Amino acid sequence: MSVTTTVSLVGVGGQGILLAAAILAETAFAEGLDVKASEVKGMAQRGGSVLSTVRFGEHVWSPVARYADVVIATELLEGHRGLGLLAPQGTLVCATTTRIVPGSVLRREEEYPDDLPGAAAARGARLIAVDAEALAREAGTLRAVNVALLGAASVVLPFAAASWQRGLAAAVPAKILEVNERAFALGRGAVSNEEVGP
Amino acid sequence: MERTLFFSGNEAIAHGAVRAGAAFACGYPGTPSTEILQTAARLDGIHAEWCVNEKVALETAVGASLAGVRSIVTMKHVGLNVAADPFMTLSLTGVNAGLVIVSADDPGMHSSQNEQDSRAYAKFAKVPMLEPSDSQEAYDFVAEAFALSEEFDTPVLLRSTTRLSHGRGQVIPRVPVVLGPRDYARDIGKYVMVPHYARMRNRLVLERLQKLRARAEESPLNVLEAGTADVGIIAAGVAYAYAREAFPKAWFLKLGMSHPLPYRKVARLFRQVSRVAVVEELDPFIEEQVRALGLPVVGKEAIPADGELDQDIVFRALEPFLSRRPPRRRRPVFPPVPRLADPPPAPGLPVRPPVLCPGCTHRAVFTALRTHRLAPMGDIGCYTLGALPPLLALDSCLCMGASIGMMAGFNQALGRKAAAAVIGDSTFFHSGVTPLIDAHYNAADGLVIVLDNRTTAMTGLQGHPGTGLRADGSRGPAVDIQKLCEGIGVRCHTVDASDYGVLEAAVKAEVDAPGLGVVVALAPCVLMVPEKAGEIVIDDERCNLCGLCLDVGCPALARGEDSVSIAGSCTGCGLCTEVCRRGALSFAGATGAGTAGEGAP
Ligand SMILES: Cc1ncc(C[n+]2csc(CCOP(=O)(O)OP(=O)(O)O)c2C)c(N)n1
Repeated sequence: MSVTTTVSLVGVGGQGILLAAAILAETAFAEGLDVKASEVKGMAQRGGSVLSTVRFGEHVWSPVARYADVVIATELLEGHRGLGLLAPQGTLVCATTTRIVPGSVLRREEEYPDDLPGAAAARGARLIAVDAEALAREAGTLRAVNVALLGAASVVLPFAAASWQRGLAAAVPAKILEVNERAFALGRGAVSNEEVGP
Repeated sequence: MERTLFFSGNEAIAHGAVRAGAAFACGYPGTPSTEILQTAARLDGIHAEWCVNEKVALETAVGASLAGVRSIVTMKHVGLNVAADPFMTLSLTGVNAGLVIVSADDPGMHSSQNEQDSRAYAKFAKVPMLEPSDSQEAYDFVAEAFALSEEFDTPVLLRSTTRLSHGRGQVIPRVPVVLGPRDYARDIGKYVMVPHYARMRNRLVLERLQKLRARAEESPLNVLEAGTADVGIIAAGVAYAYAREAFPKAWFLKLGMSHPLPYRKVARLFRQVSRVAVVEELDPFIEEQVRALGLPVVGKEAIPADGELDQDIVFRALEPFLSRRPPRRRRPVFPPVPRLADPPPAPGLPVRPPVLCPGCTHRAVFTALRTHRLAPMGDIGCYTLGALPPLLALDSCLCMGASIGMMAGFNQALGRKAAAAVIGDSTFFHSGVTPLIDAHYNAADGLVIVLDNRTTAMTGLQGHPGTGLRADGSRGPAVDIQKLCEGIGVRCHTVDASDYGVLEAAVKAEVDAPGLGVVVALAPCVLMVPEKAGEIVIDDERCNLCGLCLDVGCPALARGEDSVSIAGSCTGCGLCTEVCRRGALSFAGATGAGTAGEGAP
């Protein structure tokens, strides 16, 4: 791990990117690390592409970074876009079964990309494809796609299970904590069961 | 034409505006600017109106400029603070017909609460500033300002000061400027300042500033006047007159266009003489820039930084400095052309701009408004997204509250109901009430649609006076928009925006009615109403993929293979069922509310 690790979370406004980023930040705090984070709110929340960045390490200076070690994408097209944010040898954790089709594609002006494994390979990135929608549904709510995906990403992040637990408890409202804990566990399980690669 | 006139600077500006072909003037009174508009109001060929304040005045003038009419707006220096919101973004949008803003400073505070120097605003907004030094120049520079405004697609600041505005001098009238028509053409990339477009316009502004500086270098407004003494003076505005009288033998760099500063002309003066002073009232605006070139000047260590100057003050201030040993000659170091950030990489992936939420009631208003041939002046909020494809239902977004003033100016300039205004409820309370009062007072024609979604949605569902919801969650009295409008004296109807037929009829009635009217389109933000209103189903047989429903721009509707498909994000608002001409879209079974759950039947 480099001195500072950068995780970028990308998705579509309304998918809970900010909550996932908050959980990640709290988890890093639980590990006793310094954390800096940044997010773009406002107009971007209305169904547009959103990006949230969390950086952790012994001492973190900047809240932003051009490239991330890990990109977590809650939607397939945003996963494609997220590849552009990935540092060499970085990992993309993507909800590959979640497709939110933008207007330009609906109007047939542009095409929705369809080969994420190919694009990831071309960039030399490691891809962890997750059916986060199925996991979230299994956990009890489709809204937990973000946290199921975070569970999957936890496999490549250097935090103890207990820290994740504390992170979840600190960031998620009590009312929906249980269902999110389930989604997280399902996500974590899904990846360790598959081949994670070296 | 030969008759010489004896005008105050303010009268000269008004006459100069008419001579330059300006047909619209507005402003808010304030010493020393007031007589400009008073004079314009007496002249033929120009429509003049007092506005409710300087912000509304500027927005009204912007509307007239968009409509294709050269427009001038007048205020005292502190008025530009009130107009700063539209002013700063107007620099990005630019103009259609020329637009000149006169800001009259009051050094010495004869009748003002502060002594701010308007030139800072020219730098702040990256727009050109002209500074006439006498009545003749006041008259002439207005035409120069309009020409610059159109050539460089920018508002132009014209700075006056008390002694220019209220001083008098001879004015030789000039041949009137003859103008061709300037039609209005909608151009959302230029006039709708959502982040994506604003970023592109901002780059143009930075490039424009370089081009303006190149113009300042060669412009006859900036003159290097030869003298006989080994002394050079840089001055603009009425300070030039004082310095000229105090040091008749000096060289002068007279700046008629004081921003952006022509660095090379400054350097040329330094090659002619060994001592240079900057004479300016108030801030060391020019002086700091000259010093930044590494050139030694005498400035505010001698010339008072407060109050008015005159030739006596200037002479006494500079005389001891100019008799000292001249400073060592230095070579100027010109600042580099600033670099612009790398443009974002184009990844070749479909863009995902923000969109109106599925079930957003604002969408219905756009659908209704689009059927009429009115230029829709927009405002800021979620609904600004209605300007983007596929709705393309708003022509402008300048700043909060600008829509109504722009509509009024547009319609006043053309003398008919050619523009409408679309404004959110929070924005209406922010700064939509004053321009409505103004439009009523000045008898402007127009249709104002208030999109009342009972919240400040864009920024995350905050309360506002129309809802009564306070920051701490408590409830205060709620101001009724319709009563407020009626109290002003403006016709107002409130309609349920979720009933498309009623909404459409109300909009049509106001489009056809004479004068000014308001339609409040009421329906709570979908983010506050989580339950589904009903389940929409598609009849594959009837759908012929005509695309009418897709034009409402709902993200829940997509073009399928044989028919339109409906996504799970559909809220069941039913707008698509209203626009479908073939009855292909309808509510499943009875229009039962609360058919919750994700899976459609
Ligand atoms: C001077 C200024 N202050 C604040 C903002 C931030 N802002 C943008 S839109 C908006 C309010 C929009 O509310 P409303 O008019 O009710 O529209 P909605 O988003 O609900 O559709 C605010 C506060 C701004 N752009 N300009």
